Amino acid sequence: MSHANHHPFRAKPSLGRTFEAGVFWVLRSTAYIILLCGGFVFGDIVLKGSSTVFRTEFPFVNTTFLTEAPESLYVFEHDGVKREMGDREFRAFRGAEARKAEAAGKPAPEIKATSYVYSAGGIYPCIVGTVLLVVGSMSIALALGVASAIFLNEYARQGRFIRVVRLTILNLAGVPSIVFGLFGMGLFVIFLDWNVSLLAGWFTLALMVLPVVITASEESLKAVPQGFREASLALGATKWQTIRKAVLPFALPGILTSSILGIARVAGETAPIMFTAAFVVRDKLPWQDLERASDFFFQGVMALPYHIYVVSSKIPQNEYTERVQYGTAFVFLLIVAAIATTSIVLRARLRRRYRW
Amino acid sequence: MAESTPAPDFPVTKRRLRFFGLTSDELVQLFFRGNAMVSVLVLALITLFLFKEGLAFFGQNQRNLEVYRRAGLDYVDQLRQQEQDHTALNRYLLEVRMKAVADLAGPQGLSVEAVNQRLEAFDQYSIRFDDAIAPLRGLVSELSETASAIKTKFYINEDKRTEQRQLRAAGRADEAARVAVEEVDFAREIEPILASREVYLEINRGLSRELQEIAVLARAVPGVPAERMERFAGWVVQYVAGFPAIEQRLATWDHREPVSLLRSFSAFIFGRQWLTASFWQDWYGVLPLFVGSLMVSLIALSLAVPLGVGAAIYVNQIASPAEQRIIKPCIEFIAAFPSVVLGFFGIAVLGEFLRSVSGAAWLDWVPGFPLAERLNALTAGCLLGLIAVPTIFTLAEDALQNVPRSFKEASFALGATRLQTIVRVIIPTALSGIISAVLLGLGRVIGETMVVLLCAGNRIEIPDFTAGLAAFFQPVHSMTGIIAQEMGEVVRGEIHYRALFVVGIVLFFLSLTINFTAQKVLRRYRQHPI
Repeated sequence: MSHANHHPFRAKPSLGRTFEAGVFWVLRSTAYIILLCGGFVFGDIVLKGSSTVFRTEFPFVNTTFLTEAPESLYVFEHDGVKREMGDREFRAFRGAEARKAEAAGKPAPEIKATSYVYSAGGIYPCIVGTVLLVVGSMSIALALGVASAIFLNEYARQGRFIRVVRLTILNLAGVPSIVFGLFGMGLFVIFLDWNVSLLAGWFTLALMVLPVVITASEESLKAVPQGFREASLALGATKWQTIRKAVLPFALPGILTSSILGIARVAGETAPIMFTAAFVVRDKLPWQDLERASDFFFQGVMALPYHIYVVSSKIPQNEYTERVQYGTAFVFLLIVAAIATTSIVLRARLRRRYRW
Repeated sequence: MAESTPAPDFPVTKRRLRFFGLTSDELVQLFFRGNAMVSVLVLALITLFLFKEGLAFFGQNQRNLEVYRRAGLDYVDQLRQQEQDHTALNRYLLEVRMKAVADLAGPQGLSVEAVNQRLEAFDQYSIRFDDAIAPLRGLVSELSETASAIKTKFYINEDKRTEQRQLRAAGRADEAARVAVEEVDFAREIEPILASREVYLEINRGLSRELQEIAVLARAVPGVPAERMERFAGWVVQYVAGFPAIEQRLATWDHREPVSLLRSFSAFIFGRQWLTASFWQDWYGVLPLFVGSLMVSLIALSLAVPLGVGAAIYVNQIASPAEQRIIKPCIEFIAAFPSVVLGFFGIAVLGEFLRSVSGAAWLDWVPGFPLAERLNALTAGCLLGLIAVPTIFTLAEDALQNVPRSFKEASFALGATRLQTIVRVIIPTALSGIISAVLLGLGRVIGETMVVLLCAGNRIEIPDFTAGLAAFFQPVHSMTGIIAQEMGEVVRGEIHYRALFVVGIVLFFLSLTINFTAQKVLRRYRQHPI
């Protein structure tokens, strides 16, 4: 700007200023390095994973991958053609070849195949298991957490008891997830004899996110203006009526959106379910072949994070296994990212909407 | 309460339902109070169950160490140590030879035959040195078989006794009586080992005579640098000088000496070996795992603290509102990355990437580069850094946000530049908040499981710190990783299972301490008069 040159108080370029600008650039670069790293991880998995999940032709989504159970992949050469097949398909193919050979009066051809476990088929049981785990544990965590928060924010007066409770909540938030896993194994799996089951996983995960839910709920309850409560009490309502009619309705959206972050945590954790709920592989879906309804709760499930752990550590890395590895990671990341984004967006919107 | 006394004159009386003398409102309050108690209960239960499963470990380990001593494995291990020291010296000779070959074949351009010819005297010398240990080696292998046999016999009998007890408990006394439990008399069984002392002393005398001769000859060996052989001779003399101490130790060694519970405890805390399912002896020492966890966390924090705090300062103080609106949610989004996905990324991409980068010529000066392993402490540390960054960023940004606006305005009014304000006013005021953010980041990193399990390389060994900075590029194992890896394979109630729970206890209290310190730091800041 030309008139700035005549400005008498114009900042003169000096060493100090250059230094300041330099420092600011360094700080700016730290922020963007973080974004770059995060973006790189996300981009790599999305790029390589989407080729497994999406298709170029209709219906554009790899339905096999999303709706079938994992199978072993067989890679072999037959009649000079290199083929890749899932377990069932391979058996059928081998049977057909044998019959063909028999009809021609030749001995059954020997097919030498290399097999890779879990590398064919899909991840449907894992998705189902993760959804079940998330729904169950979040229900428990929300029930316990919101009630705790109501007590802490509405009923409690400053005192020793409350100090202890707050301190434990803070400390509980820092307990490593693997310790929760050990605890869940000790209490639910062994002591209560629930074995490796959905129920044990629910409770372990629920107790793990409890601090997150309590903190989020309390924050939302605090945001409801004190005047609402006073007005309600002045009208003769009891404390519970006040909470039910004048506080909770306004706090609930906040509680739910903040708790979505808890969902992301529950869905993403592997360590707590390793010994409490997850199976490496299970043929049946959770609702198939149940003798009693209660059996539903006492069965282990496959879960996406555990499946990723299994496919990335227990099978070798190569072009055949990479597909299922990246595909699973992609689907999982997408689910968790969608949940997290929802939470972040909703929370920002909520902050703008409720301004008392 | 006022309602409980009837007030007939009052026009509006409201009867309240009461359960156990409580109004419905009080019941509701009680219900909520009970829910608030849950978190206290959970923390108490975690402590209780970790101790319930883990505490018996120390008794079992005491027993484990006791058998180690009673069966004479301890005795044999001392001899073996002597033999291994010799092997280490031998390895030095090999090194000397390798260097000599490189010198001769490299700059002097000699053929392989010529080199071998030059080194023939040296090779003779090495063979003589190697042969010297043969009698001791023979003795060690003989004695270890004996000791091993005693131990196996003892454990087989233990198993039988357990079986017998189970049969009795099941009410099948006759079957129980048929199980033949044969008491292991350690004093008698160990006799052959103790009796070998004379033989050992004889062997030792011969060995020390031979080695002294060898030491004297060292200087005269042609074909290799004299100063290296000088050093070798010095070591050999030192080694031989240590013999009387070993003999003394073995003379006073008593297999009946009791193993205290304290010894079992310190063997866990300070044990440098975590060795399970071994043929010889199982060791449960947490030190290598602890060091591994700590090292990975250090790498992670050294990356995450500058990045996280720097980004927090930038976003809070320097960035424009538009930039803020983009960067903050994006970093929150990174926080939602599941750790197992990051671990997979480490295996699939980052490990190979780091290794190829470390192979670049201009990074040659870094010790330990190029990386020998794809999965090592560095790979895991980088990913953990990415996990710690959002935690540190969010909390540090909060701390900066809490600095009163008037501080900044006062500083500007005094003519300070933005940088001066940030460095001299804003950061010192928010410092305790930032420190507690870093501590909570550390807690997050130390408790992280999947990334270290997948990417740290899982070698249970204390890294070789003599290598300096290169120690940070070696594969390590961690406390969280070992639990996740081995818990699925152990038998419930066995010593190994309990050892994993004790590692859990260590981890639990470590995280509590870190968390508690972070809160203490924060509270001091709050009480600080502003």
